[in-house]
Amino acid sequence: MTKPAVLVPIRVLEGESIPGGVPELLANAHVVLLGYHVIPEQTAPGQARMQFEERAIERLDEYETMFTEAGASVERRLVFTHDGQQTIDRTLDEHDCMAALVPNATSAVEDILVAVRGTVGSDRLAQVVAGLFGSTAATVTLYHVAADDETDEDAATLLDGLVGRLESLGLDPARIETRIDREGDAFEAIVDAAADADAVVMGETDPSLATFVFGMPADQLAERFLGPVLVVQRGRPEADGDAEDEE
Amino acid sequence: MADPQAKGTDPGQNVAGETPAQEPEAVTDEATVHDDDVELERTIGLGGGLAIGVGTMIGAGIFVFPGLAANNAGLAATLSFAIGGVIALLVALPTSELATAMPRSGGGYYFISRGMGTAYGAIVGLGLWLGLMFASAFYLVGLGHYASAVVAELGATLPFSPVIGVGLLFGAALTALSIGGTENTASLQNVVVGILLVVLTGFLGYGVLDALGVFGRASVPEQFFSRGHFPVLTTAALVFTSYLGFAQVATVAGEIKQPGRNLPVAMVGSVVIVTVFYVVTIFVATSAFGADRLGQFGETAMVEVARDFIGLPGAVAILGAGLLATFSSANASILSASRAVYALSRDALLPRKASEINLRYGTPHVALLAAGGPILVLVATGQVELLAEVASFLHLVMYGLMCVALLVLRRRDPEWYDPSYRVPGYPVVPVVGALASAGLIVFMQPASIGIGIVVMALSYAWYRYYAGDVALRGEI
Repeated sequence: MTKPAVLVPIRVLEGESIPGGVPELLANAHVVLLGYHVIPEQTAPGQARMQFEERAIERLDEYETMFTEAGASVERRLVFTHDGQQTIDRTLDEHDCMAALVPNATSAVEDILVAVRGTVGSDRLAQVVAGLFGSTAATVTLYHVAADDETDEDAATLLDGLVGRLESLGLDPARIETRIDREGDAFEAIVDAAADADAVVMGETDPSLATFVFGMPADQLAERFLGPVLVVQRGRPEADGDAEDEE
Repeated sequence: MADPQAKGTDPGQNVAGETPAQEPEAVTDEATVHDDDVELERTIGLGGGLAIGVGTMIGAGIFVFPGLAANNAGLAATLSFAIGGVIALLVALPTSELATAMPRSGGGYYFISRGMGTAYGAIVGLGLWLGLMFASAFYLVGLGHYASAVVAELGATLPFSPVIGVGLLFGAALTALSIGGTENTASLQNVVVGILLVVLTGFLGYGVLDALGVFGRASVPEQFFSRGHFPVLTTAALVFTSYLGFAQVATVAGEIKQPGRNLPVAMVGSVVIVTVFYVVTIFVATSAFGADRLGQFGETAMVEVARDFIGLPGAVAILGAGLLATFSSANASILSASRAVYALSRDALLPRKASEINLRYGTPHVALLAAGGPILVLVATGQVELLAEVASFLHLVMYGLMCVALLVLRRRDPEWYDPSYRVPGYPVVPVVGALASAGLIVFMQPASIGIGIVVMALSYAWYRYYAGDVALRGEI
């Protein structure tokens, strides 16, 4: 199976580097290494390039080596921009990235927590998890926080479906655990569950207003969890269609 | 797209041994791509582009010139503004074509240096930088007039005129702010322009209805050419400073998203928008007071017009709008001037050091100081009309040459020249645009023309001394 493309955005000139454990975590990925530098509007991006390109490329060379030594294939970009988010979104899009990494350090790749929200997007979630961890010895815990109107059977069906999907993608079911919680706040529940994990895989938050207010943005989780968080991207409408046709 | 060196042509080097930076490999809707994996993100949308154009222009035409123009040309000043608008449009159309073919930082300088050669480019590029300084100084003096009007409104009497002092203060503050400030000033600029357009639309809407007699006091129809025909043209030359902003959109062409669509719309659109506002403003202002009284009010005539319509709240609203407008014009011009310095230093026509970025703030402090410093000297002269005309002169030279560059490029038709927007009415529009730009210069005061020529001569001398061996090519 093809390596899932994972975006690793690094603010390359602001002392951000590849945290420990991340190259090992992404050993089976196709890493899209994005070094970017955000400049104020008074500065033309080309101006920053003239001055900083050499130094940034030196660092990216170093990071690229770290990933290739761990076994990943690497594609890289260096971007000078006024708007970091726009650059990240565009790179995700142009390189068809399945997931983006919020880079934090981890010591090992043994316990992976996969936060499952629902059936929407679970196929891409399965592809990323199976692609990255199928050939490792890591234990994958599928974790779901059930909603009030959701029966235990519904929740179990959801996770069982995902287990089946992961198995068909080559992940040994002996290494998959499932866990369902019913605590009040989904975000807090995930933060608690993540405490024992080495890395978290979760879906992208809906852009709708409701989740904007009550949602659980990956960055917030990463801040509390302090480990690496892989955010699986929603497929673009047309790209999604293509992906399903291929299967 | 090929590597310049590979073509066997030497780009040359300047006195300091620096060579022009390499051209990018590709230009897409969202980024400029160098060496395959280094990209420059495009982050300014259509709204941002329009805000730069309108924001730069509207400060001068509405808030500084009405009194001066009415004094010179009477009610026919309306025609002067219309002439300026038509000339600006004739230049904006060819500029749009050039910009979509070469969406790179530096605007007019870049088009001319690639279309007509390094010498022309150097004169225009250095002229653009200096011209923007004259323009900024002009806006700052205008700002000073508004600030002193505020002081007068508060009833305070000062033993001296605060106009120049305030201009200097704001000039220094703007330069410091652009070096040390990292806040999102572009979105602020969009908001400022939005507020200005709303205030002006309300004010002018009332004014037009009033002039037409809706409120029961139809104004006395005045003789249109009360000062004769010739002043219409000299006034057009004077007020042309109010149309300099559209080319500032081109100085950030390298940062505009979807340049093929957004550059032409932003440039032509901003010219059309401000022309309508200017013509209506002058019509309303001269209808309210008559040209003679309006002329006596000088730079802040619009405040009196507003007071006449709506009383004190009107005067306060226009005072506030005038401060905002002149401030945003000056700010936009300083930033454009710094972009011009960057484009010149990228091409080794100025020392590379000039576009150096401050490690603490990430801003080009040398370029910003190179723009802000001389502005203070110019503000200190306090000569509104002279500053405006020299700024217009230097820009008109660039405008004329841009039209010529378009004609040259279309005739030579090099392989890399592939604009996504083509000027309508070729070759008439660029030919008329070039002739009109040159023609307008003739109607300026001799002093302005003299200073403009000296600036150009110095620019050429600098080029011969510093970068005579540099040869720039058009491949992108």
